[in-house]
Amino acid sequence: MDILVGSISAGLLIGMVLALMALGLTIIFGVMEVVNFAHGEFLMVGMYTGLLTAQATGMDPLLTLPVAGIVGFSLGVICYFGFVKFLLRGPMVAQLLGTFGLMIFLRNLALLFFGAEDRAIHSGVLVGKSVEFGMGVIAPATKLAAAALSILSFAAVWLLMNKTKIGKALTATSLNAQGARYMGIPTERMNALAWGIGGATVSIAGALLVNFWSVNPFIGLLFTMIAFAIVALGGFGSVLGAFFAGLVVGIITEIPGIWDFFTYAFDSDWMSNVPMTSLKYMWVYLAYFLIVVFRPRGLFGWKR
Amino acid sequence: METLKSTFDFSDFPRLDITVAGAVSVFLLLFPVFPHSAFAMATMIQFLMFSLYGMGWNTIGGYGGQVDLGKAQYVGIGAFTTTVMLIRWDIPFWFSMPIGVCFSVMWSFMLGYPLFRLKGHYFAIATIAASLVLKDIFEVWDFVGAARGLEISPIKYSPPDFLRLLFKEDIYYYYVILAFFFIGILYVNWFRKSRLGFQLRSIKDNEEMAQSLGINAHWAKIKTYAIATAFVSVVGSFHACYIKNIEPEDTMSLDISILIALMAMLGGAGSLWGPIIGAGVLIPLKSYLKEWLGAQVGLVGIDLIIYGAIIMLVSAVEPRGIWGIVEKIRRRKKE
Repeated sequence: MDILVGSISAGLLIGMVLALMALGLTIIFGVMEVVNFAHGEFLMVGMYTGLLTAQATGMDPLLTLPVAGIVGFSLGVICYFGFVKFLLRGPMVAQLLGTFGLMIFLRNLALLFFGAEDRAIHSGVLVGKSVEFGMGVIAPATKLAAAALSILSFAAVWLLMNKTKIGKALTATSLNAQGARYMGIPTERMNALAWGIGGATVSIAGALLVNFWSVNPFIGLLFTMIAFAIVALGGFGSVLGAFFAGLVVGIITEIPGIWDFFTYAFDSDWMSNVPMTSLKYMWVYLAYFLIVVFRPRGLFGWKR
Repeated sequence: METLKSTFDFSDFPRLDITVAGAVSVFLLLFPVFPHSAFAMATMIQFLMFSLYGMGWNTIGGYGGQVDLGKAQYVGIGAFTTTVMLIRWDIPFWFSMPIGVCFSVMWSFMLGYPLFRLKGHYFAIATIAASLVLKDIFEVWDFVGAARGLEISPIKYSPPDFLRLLFKEDIYYYYVILAFFFIGILYVNWFRKSRLGFQLRSIKDNEEMAQSLGINAHWAKIKTYAIATAFVSVVGSFHACYIKNIEPEDTMSLDISILIALMAMLGGAGSLWGPIIGAGVLIPLKSYLKEWLGAQVGLVGIDLIIYGAIIMLVSAVEPRGIWGIVEKIRRRKKE
């Protein structure tokens, strides 16, 4: 029982960070229907920013979030004005392959500058500590803090999207770009803002993630696929959907632990022979596939 | 007879195209006769393989407009079928290749049925997801060598072995893949004028319109997907015999899928010559960049940075590819 509760709670904790990561993708897709393949690479940039800032200044890694946010925001805006703007004129295949080119570009830029080895944070106020909740739930303090800060950032973005004028303008652009333009909303700037917010949130998620996840230049694709799964499950373009879908996908990534629980519970031989840890992320891909095939709108989606 | 005539009939192309194509064919046929380095030979084989992949992709992606980014899984199915059959039961290439095609096509029908209910981005990302699922399964499946992959040791066989397609010199491989290459061109030439080809182009232009004209769009797409799959699977089998050492990580990775689509897009999707031009530009570029820059100390990844930048540039500036530019110039001349 302990393993089961432990796995699920670990899944929920990581799920909150994953939800924040996927938020940017869903905003960008909602506003301009562009799928960003380089999303995982933005996360990687955030992770390196958090790590290097912490190492360079000696700050606690959790305090580097504003830096990561600013870097991510500027990266998103630069990518929009320097590149994505031109992609919008082309067909969909150009957008897909173009952002894929961006992904290769960023990934290998990181390889050039930071090298291929794994890097992790070893020092910090919370590193190495953990909180025990009973029922077998032992959460590393870094994960707890990351989850809490994720919710905070998520709430901030949700407020921005729903309670401010800028957020309303963004929503209007995503509902009907042409109509929004007639109403005097600068849609071009809204697009850039969407990329900025997307970059900032994913970057902050990266800076949170790097506290307990080592980073290397090739980490992006995995997270891009996870983000796609979350966005598909939550509904392309839905902010609230991304949050709940993030929790679900977080639990999906903990399937090996849950599988272990059932293996012990049934004491079953064939179950222990399944190499579940290697198949960890297959479930995410499979979930994505099944979701888009059977429920393309996702849980909360309003766009098809 | 009608089919055969249509296959060899290139007369709807301008004379310039046919002249250039003829010259390139003669060059390809005579290339091994000229003195060349082993590296140039390997690059040429890569070029021919990727043109074939691109031609396959072009049927569904170019003529049909369905952006399929999961072709690598069929490379894997083809390659692994051939290798497993050769290693375990000593079944030669010419028998295992059609079996591999059968497996791929069956799998493509199973996937294609749900996949083609989707459109646009959903379809593209779902193909990626399907491909990655299959790759992950292959990576833990002991029967196909799991993550280590499989290796054909050529010592057991005495090369040149034409039945098993195991050679010491690359020149044999070159002519085998060149034969496939010409067959591929002839097939696509027939395909684009076939009933299915026209149906597909009308679906690309306007799917509702096509359906209202009585075309079963879903079925037409699935059929074409299977054709594209067959192309890729054949070359995958060839790849296994040529490389002799296959792992899920490099035969089925997303990079391969993307490269296949990129080839066709860079050259010009939806035209007969597009994928060949794309492969002809991109493959030598990629291998020479790797050869020149990839090994430089302190500059790891610089070749792929340039490669990524080129992809970005092409998709931002001229998404219809090189052939798009050619057609633009021609139209301007006519006016």
